[in-house]
Amino acid sequence: MPEEKRQNPFRRIRMRYRGRFSQIQIYLGKLLRMFLYQSDWKVLPMSAMVAGLVGLVIRKRFFETMEGTLMSALAVTCLCLWNGCFNSIQVICRERDVIKREHRSGMHISSYIAAHMIYQAMLCMLQTGITLYVMRAVGVRYPTEGLVTRFFITEFSISLFLITFAADMMSLWISALSRTTTAAMTIMPVVLIVQLVFSGGMMSLPARAEPVTRVIISNYGLKLIATQANYNAQPLGSAWGTVERMKGNEIKTTLTMGRILDYLGDPENPQAEQIRSVKLTDDSSLLGAITVGTVVDTVNAGEDSEQLRAQTIPIDTTVGEVIGMLGEKEVREYVETKATESAQVSDYDYSKLNVAVYWLSLAFFALVFAGLSTITLEMIDRDRR
Amino acid sequence: MGFTSRELLEYLANCFSGGTWPWGNVAGLLFIIGEWGLLQKSGLKGWWALIPSAREYQLARCAGREPEGRILSMAEFGRILTNGAMYIARNQGGIVASVFLVAEITLEIVVFLYRIQVFSGLIEGYGTGRRWMWLWVLHITRWIPALIWGWKKKYLPEWQVEDLRREMLVRASSGSTTVLDQGLTVNLKERSTRDFFQKKILLWDIHMVIPQGHMVLLLGGSGAGKTTLVNAINGYEKANAEIMLNGSNMYTQYKHMQYETGFVPQQELVRNKDTVYYTLMDAAKLRLPKDVPGDARRKRVEEVMEIFGLTAVRNRLVQKLSGGQKKRLSIAMELISNPSLFILDEPDSGLDGVMARELMQQLRKTADTGKIVIVITHTPDRVIEFFDDVIVLAKDSARTGRLAFYGSIREAREFFGCEKMEEIVKLVNRPEEGGAGMADAFIAKYKEVQHA
Repeated sequence: MPEEKRQNPFRRIRMRYRGRFSQIQIYLGKLLRMFLYQSDWKVLPMSAMVAGLVGLVIRKRFFETMEGTLMSALAVTCLCLWNGCFNSIQVICRERDVIKREHRSGMHISSYIAAHMIYQAMLCMLQTGITLYVMRAVGVRYPTEGLVTRFFITEFSISLFLITFAADMMSLWISALSRTTTAAMTIMPVVLIVQLVFSGGMMSLPARAEPVTRVIISNYGLKLIATQANYNAQPLGSAWGTVERMKGNEIKTTLTMGRILDYLGDPENPQAEQIRSVKLTDDSSLLGAITVGTVVDTVNAGEDSEQLRAQTIPIDTTVGEVIGMLGEKEVREYVETKATESAQVSDYDYSKLNVAVYWLSLAFFALVFAGLSTITLEMIDRDRR
Repeated sequence: MGFTSRELLEYLANCFSGGTWPWGNVAGLLFIIGEWGLLQKSGLKGWWALIPSAREYQLARCAGREPEGRILSMAEFGRILTNGAMYIARNQGGIVASVFLVAEITLEIVVFLYRIQVFSGLIEGYGTGRRWMWLWVLHITRWIPALIWGWKKKYLPEWQVEDLRREMLVRASSGSTTVLDQGLTVNLKERSTRDFFQKKILLWDIHMVIPQGHMVLLLGGSGAGKTTLVNAINGYEKANAEIMLNGSNMYTQYKHMQYETGFVPQQELVRNKDTVYYTLMDAAKLRLPKDVPGDARRKRVEEVMEIFGLTAVRNRLVQKLSGGQKKRLSIAMELISNPSLFILDEPDSGLDGVMARELMQQLRKTADTGKIVIVITHTPDRVIEFFDDVIVLAKDSARTGRLAFYGSIREAREFFGCEKMEEIVKLVNRPEEGGAGMADAFIAKYKEVQHA
């Protein structure tokens, strides 16, 4: 049977309808109206309240010590995650049926998601501004000089915005995946816990968890804030605190002369070498210059050295007394320097490269999640009752 | 990493019996024997009892707890997987093993809770006392009631599981209808869903041609497949079908026709927190061609607001509208682009008699301009004079939606031998729905008419 060629009447009179860009404007207008009518504005006072609470906790610690900065960085990251996630977790799933209907009557999913991206970006910007203002108002003091830009506050705003926006886009995707608001709100806490656990701020993660942390927004957020707060340049407050708590501890022991002589006779020990070089008599004295080393060597070589080595010296003192004897200022300086050196983290190095990498990573996350939302929602036609 | 042969044997035995080595396995095997009998008594194949995870679903079907059975089956499957993963990760310790452990505990809880629901259904189905539940819930004692109920003749279920496939085998398609260049041609072979381990046929063998300018009433009892049919026609939920509108395929060429179809579903698909005017204006911007000037667009919005009595509430939020107003708004949104095919699913629900008549009058006017209007309504007789044709859908003995009639109102009255449309619905409805249960007879009769 010959195939009958039939003309498509709709192709014949091809009408031009609104394109993607034009549809973004339509949906953006709708979202802005709904910001007012749907009480979406409530997220703004909510973010102020949360920022206030967090600010009160971190105001004395942020930018002061390593531990305080890390804890504050985690708190601020969580605050941004919270804000971002709750901005958009319900926005798609609550109107899924409407989206499907509109998609079938000409709506481009990419325009719909783009409108959401713009709208959510505006919300995130407002929330970032509110967060920074409220935290300052409750007593958080920000550094003045920035690393990438002239002012710290400028680049810190960018960081908080990017963390919030990436989290926002992530929950937009969860919303696109969920059929109902109940499903979305059930997934949400699990996602937040995963973000918290793998942020790296709560506990040190095993090396095996490294691949997971690469896809965790909070991990990048934490590193970014710690970098900008110049974590590595701050003292490790807890180190001296630990020593202080030990000051009352008693040191009761007995030392043998043999142990002291062995210590002073060790050529590998630079401190022993230093003590050995101490002069006991002047060059001008009758015996010439006698050093501690000369005495130690003479004693070791003597016939009755074994007897001497067996002699004991009782020690009964406290940690505080030893510190006092050595000089508290010097010991403190020494302990803090050594502890800070050992607590350095290369991921938090105060470098422009680090900040740029974290910014780009967060922006990349936001784009990937927006893309995933679009792909997920493109399949909305498969939804069944 | 990896299994030793003994561990592999142990794992497989655990998976098969659903218990743990060694007494749990023995109890599990006894339970399988009992379950075989239970499945057979409910009209299912006994060998399902041998397949882990699938047997949970089949037992839930026997208990009349199919939805719970689906979740139970999936949870059981997940439990088997996590159990295997635990074996593999047992030497790794740390986070990996902990994750699997948490997953397994979670799934165990889900399986336990859903099993209680299934066993509770079995107790209802066998009409026995609740005290049996104590034996059912424990894995180590579950085999006792399973063996007794499964193999003792005294215990019989109150219902049998329907095999929906049996009727399908004897059904034959009545072929297809010729595609017309103008109008709507429906050649629906089958609309089915795959529901876990079984296929359910919702609609079967529906063929018709609706000419342009016709307003068609879609009639049928509850669950006959009216909404499924209109969803299949407009491609909202695609079927194994060829739906042609004015010579173009609704499924493959939908992109070119999306502005030509209007569909008002049962529930109002509008955003509650937007105003009436902006809802309509956005619909107009999306659905009217780009070159329609702003003035003309605004005029069209004003026009539909006027037609549907929405002018007075133009600045009101949609959520503040009454049910009837919301319904009219939904219709107005679709009508704004003046579609060639207009499908409405119960547009008059929530409308009073006067409003319903006005609405149908409006739809009649739309049809008179050469459009096709298909309407589902549960109160057809108060507006019957506006319709040209009627489609009657009925559930056959296998509970599949079939075409029992398509033709003019006059022909329908002659075919069914009754004056009122609601009486037709009663004739084709099943006896348990208060109907005469004559669906099969009318389906066969209509098939004969079609062939003649």
